[in-house]
Order: sequence, then structure tokens, then C-alpha cells
Amino acid sequence: MSVLYPISLKGAGVRYNMQLKRKRSLRTSVTKSSRLDDKGHFWALRDINLEVQEGETVAVVGANGAGKSTLLLMLAGILEPDEGSVAVYGSISTLLHVGAGFNSELNAEENILLVGAFLGIPSSVMKKRIPEILDFADIGDFATSEVRTYSSGMRARLGFSVATAVRPDVLLVDEVLSTGDAAFRDKARARILNLIQKARAVVYVTHDLDSAASFCTRAIELEGGKIVADGPAKSVIAAYQAKMERKAKGSS
Amino acid sequence: MANASLRLTVGRSRRGPIGTITETVKSVIQRRRLLLYLTVSDIRKDGGNSLLGNLWLVLDPAVQLAIYFFLVGMVLDRQQPAFALFLFSAILPWRWLSMALVSAAKSVRAKDQVMRQIAFPHIVLPIASLSASSASFLFGLVPLCSLYLVYPERLTPWILSFPLIGVVQLLWMLPLAILFSALSVFFRDISNLLAHALRIAFYISPALFSYDRILEILEKRPPARLLLDLNPMAWILTAYRDIFYEGRSADWGALLGVALASIPFTLVSIYLFRRMAPSFPKVL
Repeated sequence: MSVLYPISLKGAGVRYNMQLKRKRSLRTSVTKSSRLDDKGHFWALRDINLEVQEGETVAVVGANGAGKSTLLLMLAGILEPDEGSVAVYGSISTLLHVGAGFNSELNAEENILLVGAFLGIPSSVMKKRIPEILDFADIGDFATSEVRTYSSGMRARLGFSVATAVRPDVLLVDEVLSTGDAAFRDKARARILNLIQKARAVVYVTHDLDSAASFCTRAIELEGGKIVADGPAKSVIAAYQAKMERKAKGSS
Repeated sequence: MANASLRLTVGRSRRGPIGTITETVKSVIQRRRLLLYLTVSDIRKDGGNSLLGNLWLVLDPAVQLAIYFFLVGMVLDRQQPAFALFLFSAILPWRWLSMALVSAAKSVRAKDQVMRQIAFPHIVLPIASLSASSASFLFGLVPLCSLYLVYPERLTPWILSFPLIGVVQLLWMLPLAILFSALSVFFRDISNLLAHALRIAFYISPALFSYDRILEILEKRPPARLLLDLNPMAWILTAYRDIFYEGRSADWGALLGVALASIPFTLVSIYLFRRMAPSFPKVL
């Protein structure tokens, strides 16, 4: 019997059909013609082979538009691969954009249940977590008011607390450490580190290279939708940093 | 190894049509909570910020009834006994159809944010929108029933059979809601076209006139007769009118046929939706 990895990608690729997407977006503006095929498809990711083992924390580094976010979306099951295959085992938590799924006409408690339902967490579990989530979000008396009356910070704190309320097997993180004020940021950082330690596998997208090097065990570098480096976090990140510096010098 | 017991959460291989349909139906049943929460918040959203709040659920159809009552009944002076009841027994279900389809068409597009951030079966969106519209249809029964104060002689126990007709109508609205919600992700124009298509369909359905009257008008045009018979809403509206206005049993045999005919459409719409769904987060 073959060993099951928590995450395994075999020749996976995701493409965007440029004809269907009429809105001009950041992604279109960074498009290079080499990533368009003859049918006008833009390959955000192509030929990705990656196996994440039990206990690994993988940092994903690369320039804007290299495909980091698309990789996370594919692992989360939000985007399906257009070629190759993706397999993720166990429950998944995604810390992509906090506050996803909130309805501004509902109050905090109702939103917690709504987001829990979107995530597919049983409502009995979610109901038990409500006091803890409200406490961590620290929104005080606003718990019974509609979310539309919240400040953006309160919204972000509530979103973060909901997203991190359940311990996942596989954790996907996309730079959410910058949530809220300084005090909350420290609390959030501690909570993420705790989740990372307990998860079976973590994929962590970041531009904060120093923190990635400090707690990730492995790193991959994406460039133009392909993996160009894969290895121990410290050496891959060091090589990437050196490359960035060379590039900065070259352009100046 | 410990993780061998873990369930595959992302990356199920693509199945054939039947597998796709059963898998989709199962995923909706699993997310029935989400369906409930979305429905409730959808109903509340409409009344949330207005002065009279959810009272509008009753007021809207009542005002519409009043307009038709005075305009068509008094100004145009139609020679139809109990005209308000005649009209409203068909206009109310038609209102349900048109409002449900127009809001279902927007239902997937409106949730673009959450679709890019959470993986969930997108098909719950049109279904939740449809159930919210159905709830507000039930409130419209209040003005309809209050008409029996004006025409007490038309009140018969047959009106209690309306849920059966409602189910048949719902069976036809489901595939349309699913299909339009998916198509309007790719073609924004669907919402505009839908409004006009519904208006045309309104006039070729027995809403303002009875089925027999339309037949008289169409007598010289046999293809139009076929069109009328192929229109499920023609059968459904006639059934509503039978129980609410004529005070007699609806043609249940015909309704059963109409209900059964919806099944292939529903299956096809679920399959097509599921095949289009992977593109939603990319296009929006």
C-alpha cells in the first residue's frame, strides 16, 4: 500500500479562460504572453508536483502573480485543477481573507453559525464555540448588533476568530497576521503558531521571509506558475532573498 | 499510518452524469443548515432596513392586487363575476414565479466573495434563494384569503389543496432557478432578458384571461395552441383558478403529468450546474 500524504499534487495546473473573464484584473495585467496557450487560456499554475508529508510546514514564496494564491485556492478545493490531480486528506482550514461569508444584516452570533455552515462544520460544534469565539474577537457589547455596524477592525477580528475556531488537519494560510491592532496581532500570531503546531500539514504563503524561515520546515518558490525551488526552508528562502537582492540591484 | 483514516476532502475524481447528480444532491442534504441560514437571512435582508419591515411581504401583493382590481376590474369593466378573485388567484402564483426566477438568477453572482474564499456546494445558493421567495409567496396568501370576505360564496374546502399545486409549481421553478443562476455568471444579460421573457410568458399564460378565453383567441392559430399546452404554467395557473375561484377540484391527473415532466429538467439542470460550477470562482 502506498503511503498517503496529507497533500499531494501530481502535474496539477489551473488555467483561466481570458475570454470569459471580461473584467481587467491584477492577474491580467501581470500576464505574460508565454503563459497564454494557443486557445487564449492563461495558466496561473502549471505542472505542479508537490507532496506534503505529515508534520511539514511548507512556506510558499515568490513574486506577485507567481501563482501562490492560486495554489492555496486549489488546495482549499475552491479551484479545481484543469489538468493533473490534487488530493488533500483531512479537514481543512483556510485563512485566506478573514470575514468571508459574513452577512452584514446578521449579528455576530448568527454570522458565526452562517460561516460555520458555509465551512461545513456541524452547528452543534459551532454553537459550543460561540462564547469562545466572541471572547477571542473581543467585540464586547457589539455581539448582539448587526455586523454592518462594526468597524473594519472588529469585523476582521471576528472573521479571524471564526476562521481559527476549529482545529484543522490541514491549514492553509495566506498572510493574515496583519489583522487588527498591535495587541490583537500578537494574540492572532500566537493562535496561528498554535494551530500550525497541531496541524498535520501546513501551507503558508507569505512575503514575511524571516518569520517563514523561522517556523517553516520546508519552502517552495513559485515563478511564472511553476515550482522553481523546493527544499529546506532556510536554504530556499536564503537563495530567494539573494535572488531578489540581485534583481533589485540590476534594476536600479 | 494514522492519516490513512482521514477522509479525502479535496480532489475527488470526476464522475459520470448520474454520479455527479447523486453527489450534488448529497452535498446539498449535508449542507441543509447552510440552506436554512441563507434562506432566513435572505428573507430578512428584504425587510431589514425599511420602516414597515417584513410587513411589506403582505403589503406588496396587496397593493398589486388593489391596482389590478381598480384598473382592470373597474376602469376596463371586465364582465367576469368576482373579477378580483379571478385575477388574483393566477397573478399571485405568477408573481411567485417571476420574483423567484429573477432573484435566483442573481443568487450565485451576488456571492462572488464567499465563493472565492470558501469551498462549498454552490448549488445551495439558487435553492436558498428559491425557498426565500417561496416563503414570501406564502405571505401573499393573506390578501388572497381576505378577498373571501368580499366573495364569501366562493370559499370552498378545495382551497386547502393549494399546497399540492404549489409543489408542482416548485418542481418546475427549481430547474429554471438552478439553470439561470449558473448562466448569469457567464452572461450578465440573462437577468435583463429574463425580465422580458417572463413578461412575454405572462401574456401567453392564462393569467389575465381564462384558459378557455385564450383558446378562443388562438383558435385560428393551431401552433399557438400547442405552445399553450406545452407551457407548464398554463396547467398550473388553471389549477389554482379551479380551487381558488371556481371552487372545484383541479385536474389532478394533468397536474401529476406536469409534475413528472419536470424531473428530467431538474436532473439535467443539476448536472449542467455542477459542470459549470468549477468556473464560477474564476469568472467572477
